[in-house]
Amino acid sequence: MAGADAAMDNQPRLALATTYEGDDPALLERIAPLIDTIEIAPDSIAESDGRGKQRLRRAILDEYAAVNHQVNFVAHGIGLSIGSFDHWQEGYLRLLDELFSRFELEWHSEHLACTVVAGENVGTMFALPRTAETLDLICERVRLIQERYRVPFLLEHVIHLLPEAPAEFSPAGFLNAITSRTGCGLILDAYNLECDAHNQGLDIPAFLDELNLSAVRELHLAGGVQHKGFYLDIHSRTTCDSTLALGLEIIRRAPNLRVATYELLKEAVRPLGHDAICSELGRIRQAVGNLNENDPLPVPASNGSLARRGGA
Amino acid sequence: MRQLELQQRGLLDLIKGRGATPDDPYLQMVEGSRELAMMREIAIWWRKYQLEAQCRLTSNLLKRLNCFKGLVTSYFNNHGTSPFVEELSHGFLNFLNGHDDGLVRTVARFEDALLQLRSGSAATFEVVWDRHPDHVFLALENGSELPASEDDCQYRMLLAADLPQMVSCTREQLVRN
Repeated sequence: MAGADAAMDNQPRLALATTYEGDDPALLERIAPLIDTIEIAPDSIAESDGRGKQRLRRAILDEYAAVNHQVNFVAHGIGLSIGSFDHWQEGYLRLLDELFSRFELEWHSEHLACTVVAGENVGTMFALPRTAETLDLICERVRLIQERYRVPFLLEHVIHLLPEAPAEFSPAGFLNAITSRTGCGLILDAYNLECDAHNQGLDIPAFLDELNLSAVRELHLAGGVQHKGFYLDIHSRTTCDSTLALGLEIIRRAPNLRVATYELLKEAVRPLGHDAICSELGRIRQAVGNLNENDPLPVPASNGSLARRGGA
Repeated sequence: MRQLELQQRGLLDLIKGRGATPDDPYLQMVEGSRELAMMREIAIWWRKYQLEAQCRLTSNLLKRLNCFKGLVTSYFNNHGTSPFVEELSHGFLNFLNGHDDGLVRTVARFEDALLQLRSGSAATFEVVWDRHPDHVFLALENGSELPASEDDCQYRMLLAADLPQMVSCTREQLVRN
């Protein structure tokens, strides 16, 4: 019993995060008391001089600084293009360096995807073929990133909109291979999984059963749109009940999960409205809180299996 | 060429709607798929959205001429498009320098100059209009009829950071033989 209590004392509560991309101080003022962490996308708060040189917008950095006493920060990249066959985007790392020089980040993350091919931006994200060739490339780049930044690095799976490429690994098996070889963490996006289930027939229960969930550090929750029969990961809505339920299932099963992030595009803030965003954060907080009370979070047992907090 | 490179280069050509039919069986399957059409639609929609927000005058004019989507699609297919809106806008507005319509070229040049100045450029830009620019701006703003070109004069506009309100404009009478 004492062991279980000690485990409870040592287990930090699940933090709530959301995206905030600047230029809306009224929103920031309202969300800051509701969350623990802000997810910053360096690419989204950068500006270009129009001649190929980018930097983070000072005014937005100042907005973050104003709430630094209230919230923590994590970085979530879009444009590293870690899966490009030739090279990643060094420009993104310069933005990340700038962000690290200004704030203490708990961790940083990137999409397991390719956004640039032979120097040309593709205008979207290509999912990566799950092959040994890709695995070697990703693992080497993760190693270089881990050497460069001394905070944890996480990868997030992206939706597979295009037909599946020939693969040597299952979706979960590929992520397991990356995390076991590199020690990097994962972001699981509950809405992305639902998109893949709808668009590609992903078997989510089988995926979660196969995935090494101890590598999952962050959960993404979002609401998207349906268009021409597709589920699209345009994060412009509140979270559907099914997505939240899947997120709670992941929370129950992922022993090292530390942050649940409600993701929302900057472009969606105005149509959705501040009230709806704040309500959504409250709804997620309450759902996670209820889970803590009614179905305690798992803690890793010494043998690697999961034990319930407060359980027998 | 290794498989990953082959696949990514092939997907780039497919999403850009260019290149010959691929030899690779997977790329052949993707080529005719509704999923690829959806991905292209999203990619072009985002470019349109960014350009509408950043280049309001030019996108307004192009929409009035019913050629905005076609031009964005053409630009997307045939050019590298930066994820940074400033670079995307600069590239697109320069692309319009080759447009047949003189007013499109002028409005695009004006808007590009304005955006560069807002980004901190110290350069001086000159834009020559064949009709009163204020009347063009007003028409684009409120949806009224665009003014016709004026045969007997032109408007020489200078844009620079050190000018009052960054702009000056003088009307020049043209002498016809």
